[in-house]
Amino acid sequence: MKNNNAQINKEPKTSSRSLALTALEDFNGFAIYHSGRFVLFAVSFNTVLIVLLIFYFVIQQGLPFFKNFDTIEFFTSKQWYPEADNPKFGALSIIFGSLYVTISALLLAVPAAILAAVFLSEIVSHKIRNYVKPVIELLAAIPSVAYGFFAVLVLAPFLQTHFGLSTGTNALNASLILSIMALPTIISVAEDSITAIGRDLREASYGLGATRFETIFKVVIPAAHSGIIAAIVLGMMRAIGETMVVWMASGNANQIPSPWWDLTQSVRTMTATIAGDMGETSKGSPHYQSLFAIGIVLLAMTFLLNIISEYFLASAGKNSRKK
Amino acid sequence: MSDKKAIIKSENFCFYYGSKIGVKNISMEIYPKSVTAIIGPSGCGKSTFLRSINRINDLIANIKTKGVLLVKGHNVYDKNTNLVNLRQQVGMVFQKPNPFPKSIFDNVAYGPRLQGVKKRSYLQQIVEEKLKAAALWGEVKDELNKSALALSGGQQQRLCIARALATNPDILLMDEPCSALDPIATGKIEDLIDKLQTDYTIVIVTHNMQQAARVSERTAFFCLGELIEYDSTVKIFRNPAKKQTEDYVTGRFG
Amino acid sequence: MRFFIRHITDKIFTILTVLSVIMLVAILAVILVPMLRKGLSAIVFNGTIEFRKMQLDLFSRGDIDELKNEDIRSRLYRNKIYETIESFKQNIDSETLSDKAGVIYRNFGKELQRKNIKGAEYQKLRSLSRELRDKLQAVFKSSDKKFIQENISDVLKFKNDIAFKDTSIDGLFVLAEDFASDIEHIDLSRRQQYAASLKELENIITKLLGPNPSLPVPALKMDRYGATRRDIAEKLLNRLLWLEQWQQDSPGKPMKRVITPRAELFAGTEIEPLFNYIRENLDEILVFKPAFYWQYFIDDSTPGHYFGGVWPEILGTVFLTLAAMIFVFPIGIISAAYLAQCQSDNLIIKIIRMAINTLAGVPSIVFGLFGLAFFVLYLMPLFGGPSKPCILTAALTLAVLTLPVMIRASEEAIRSVPQSYVEASLGLGAGKLTTFISVILPAAMPGILTGIILSVSRVAGETAPILFTGAIAFGPTPKSIFDPTRTLSYGSYDIAIGDKLAALVPHNQYGMVATLIMLVFCLNIAAIIMRAKISRKLKGH
Ligand SMILES: Nc1ncnc2c1ncn2[C@@H]1O[C@H](COP(=O)(O)OP(=O)(O)OP(=O)(O)O)[C@@H](O)[C@H]1O
Ligand SMILES: [Mg+2]
Repeated sequence: MKNNNAQINKEPKTSSRSLALTALEDFNGFAIYHSGRFVLFAVSFNTVLIVLLIFYFVIQQGLPFFKNFDTIEFFTSKQWYPEADNPKFGALSIIFGSLYVTISALLLAVPAAILAAVFLSEIVSHKIRNYVKPVIELLAAIPSVAYGFFAVLVLAPFLQTHFGLSTGTNALNASLILSIMALPTIISVAEDSITAIGRDLREASYGLGATRFETIFKVVIPAAHSGIIAAIVLGMMRAIGETMVVWMASGNANQIPSPWWDLTQSVRTMTATIAGDMGETSKGSPHYQSLFAIGIVLLAMTFLLNIISEYFLASAGKNSRKK
Repeated sequence: MSDKKAIIKSENFCFYYGSKIGVKNISMEIYPKSVTAIIGPSGCGKSTFLRSINRINDLIANIKTKGVLLVKGHNVYDKNTNLVNLRQQVGMVFQKPNPFPKSIFDNVAYGPRLQGVKKRSYLQQIVEEKLKAAALWGEVKDELNKSALALSGGQQQRLCIARALATNPDILLMDEPCSALDPIATGKIEDLIDKLQTDYTIVIVTHNMQQAARVSERTAFFCLGELIEYDSTVKIFRNPAKKQTEDYVTGRFG
Repeated sequence: MRFFIRHITDKIFTILTVLSVIMLVAILAVILVPMLRKGLSAIVFNGTIEFRKMQLDLFSRGDIDELKNEDIRSRLYRNKIYETIESFKQNIDSETLSDKAGVIYRNFGKELQRKNIKGAEYQKLRSLSRELRDKLQAVFKSSDKKFIQENISDVLKFKNDIAFKDTSIDGLFVLAEDFASDIEHIDLSRRQQYAASLKELENIITKLLGPNPSLPVPALKMDRYGATRRDIAEKLLNRLLWLEQWQQDSPGKPMKRVITPRAELFAGTEIEPLFNYIRENLDEILVFKPAFYWQYFIDDSTPGHYFGGVWPEILGTVFLTLAAMIFVFPIGIISAAYLAQCQSDNLIIKIIRMAINTLAGVPSIVFGLFGLAFFVLYLMPLFGGPSKPCILTAALTLAVLTLPVMIRASEEAIRSVPQSYVEASLGLGAGKLTTFISVILPAAMPGILTGIILSVSRVAGETAPILFTGAIAFGPTPKSIFDPTRTLSYGSYDIAIGDKLAALVPHNQYGMVATLIMLVFCLNIAAIIMRAKISRKLKGH
């Protein structure tokens, strides 16, 4: 025991070290601190770089199309014959198709999602919530190609035989699946924003004798509206950017349904057009460029939606922080 | 007492969180190998002052200081302070026990390893010695590889003390080390502090008047960010010079 | 009254919310159960002798001796089918019969020469036999029963002619007698129809039992074996027993499906009982045995995923995921550390955060476009590589796609490490880097791991980004990261839509997608469990 102590005492005591930095230490510290910070920064900044590269390369490949072809025709004509001798690039019905399935999917998904979000945040005990959450997470985890597989091999034959449709792959099929895929996103963001509404608001409402329904619809949801709007916009982003499902389930017919509300007709979306046509093009051909042009439109749309969602998320955050 | 040379000395020391004042115009001398207690109502800046001594407050954004805070004659808020050496010489024990989620052994060996000690047998010696110094050795000697989080609160706090001792500090700062503990564990820690003061300078913040009276030699009374009175513990508790101090120590404080 | 209505609305609303969640669970079940159940049938099913033959030939798996015994036994039952068809074919096939008569006639001529019969004798026998032959051939071509009977009896008159005794011309009489007895039940006017129906029947039987062993082995592997599993066998049996036709009652009306027993096509013939025979003896013919084909996960497949498993797809998915993780892991963690350590919300941090959000919102197909334009067409040639899609480009594209997931999860994990750990470490004189590596990172590891698992599951399931950057439906196993690869995700697409052949083997279609789903689910469930553990640990503190 004594031995040990003796040994330890031989070690130079830390107390003998100076509290002031020597010049070398000072310089080393300075250098290491700043070079380390720079490395961290440089690596982190990659994300920004990647976003810039994505915008640059997609626009660079697609821009020649807008230079060489009629931009107005692209947005207003329904004639899409990219491989013809006299090619026509009218993407109206393709852009319409994307919006068509997205909006019908949202019409299906939003009411159900908000009800579910209310259920999770207002009605159910913590315990049941812990069982329902994984269900939502698993719905979100199913790969989109598996949803597409289900749409083509299970849902399409079902629709065809039970509803007497001429084809099971149509806007209805795609919208149904897209709505399921948008559910988890909308539910979780909406639930967060509803939960963030403070207890005091609710208690005030209940205290005035309101029922749960009245409290939720007249107090909680209006207070959480920013978050709910953000949730819907995020769900929309998910639906409009989805590729595999619409490619496999929408039928890929280049048409605007007539009458316009006839969901049982096939449509074609932007994402599916890119996915389906790219294999048949050669690099630099007008067809190839036109697909990148569609990519630019898609990128612009999602970017816009992203900014909108961020605006609403930010104001939702501010609202809940006020409390 | 005052003939001894002070190991910590502050002169008109002020500390600001942004524009908010933490402490202001603190001038006091703390003497080596003794226990100094800091008492005062909640929010008066006891922790702020204590945490300035080893500059652990640097973690907070937008802080500013004024005045001088000398440790062993070196102004710690000087630009060229060697923070590593400072913090090795000024150890700290926090209010809530905060052992790392590692084994007991690794917790105590953390400091020595930072100083470059690699030899296992030597590390073992240090760990044993410091655990003994912290009066924990007997309870954990057979399970040094167990997770530190599996210990009781009192044991965890003593482990944190052992961990702080393992860097061989001269000064030990303790911020309400017993507030999260039951009376028995508190008693053990107080005994430990009593034992440690022969080798270490200890500065302890406490809300417990009896504790301050029991363990410390000198006591400082803070209020609203200012040092109201600083004297020997006996004087502060028996015969304080200021009315404010008397009100506080007798429990009449608003 | 007003109160009552309010009360009812409230109740209805509550019920609606409950229904919405029940619907969620139901949707999950409706989507998963059929896919997983049918997918499971790629592994656990009732296998036939054809399955075991295929396993032995293509994968050298199984008990040869037992298979031989089974084969011998099943042949006993199969031969009857082949023989019946063969003899029926002869009867309705006038040309074959005529040829046979011609051969017998010619052989008889040679026999006469061998016996050294010459002159008038020879001429007489020769012309008589020619006459018999012509008569028979006319009989075979005719569909008039009366004419046939007369002619046959004419022919058979010569049966006991002394000159023909013990000669090969006997064959003609046998032929005539057989034909006479066979046609008793055959409607000769329907010969053409019989031929067509028989051909269809033979086709189905080939699919059910495999090719006729007397014929040469087919070139395509998929044609070499009959039904390998009970469900397929039963489907084929159904097609064998029942004839499905689409009929239109009157022009303009939708087609209607009409189902009739196929046996009716052969009413009264010797084929008719064959249908019942096959139905009743299917067990003996195909020798069903339960099969547990776990090798589905380690077998390569024949074209069209007709036989075999999904090993190359699994391998490709794993490679691609690992490669993507190698890129995304360091960048993700370092960025997360940077974001978590920088408290001040300065401009740079804001820009980085905005970039992460934008990246998370980019549609996956646009990542595909970017991967094609940047990695495949720009970066690869820049570094002197071939400008073609490959594992490397696909992995890079996927890495870019999953970066936001990784950064967000890691940042949250790092932020949730208690500040007290940092204070303790710094208080002991550790530097910031040491503190990060030896205290923060280990404490944040479970959370970071959750993030990694989630990114892996995302990467493994993504299809659109790799469509143009490195996924293929067919092809050899990649030799390096500069080759393209098959993946479960693209394979699931291809097997559902791209590959028409795969529709014949639904169990393999579902098997592929079920493998993908199970892979992704196992990862997700691991993440969910891990997160629950972490939160329990944090709460317990
Ligand atoms: N990180 C911080 N940022 C801003 N203000 C702070 C911060 N920490 C403490 N303060 C403020 O500084 C003042 C002094 O706080 P301090 O923690 O030093 O008090 P204390 O005497 O230790 O109180 P207690 O006995 O409750 O621990 C308080 O008014 C507090 O609000
Ligand atoms: Mg304090």
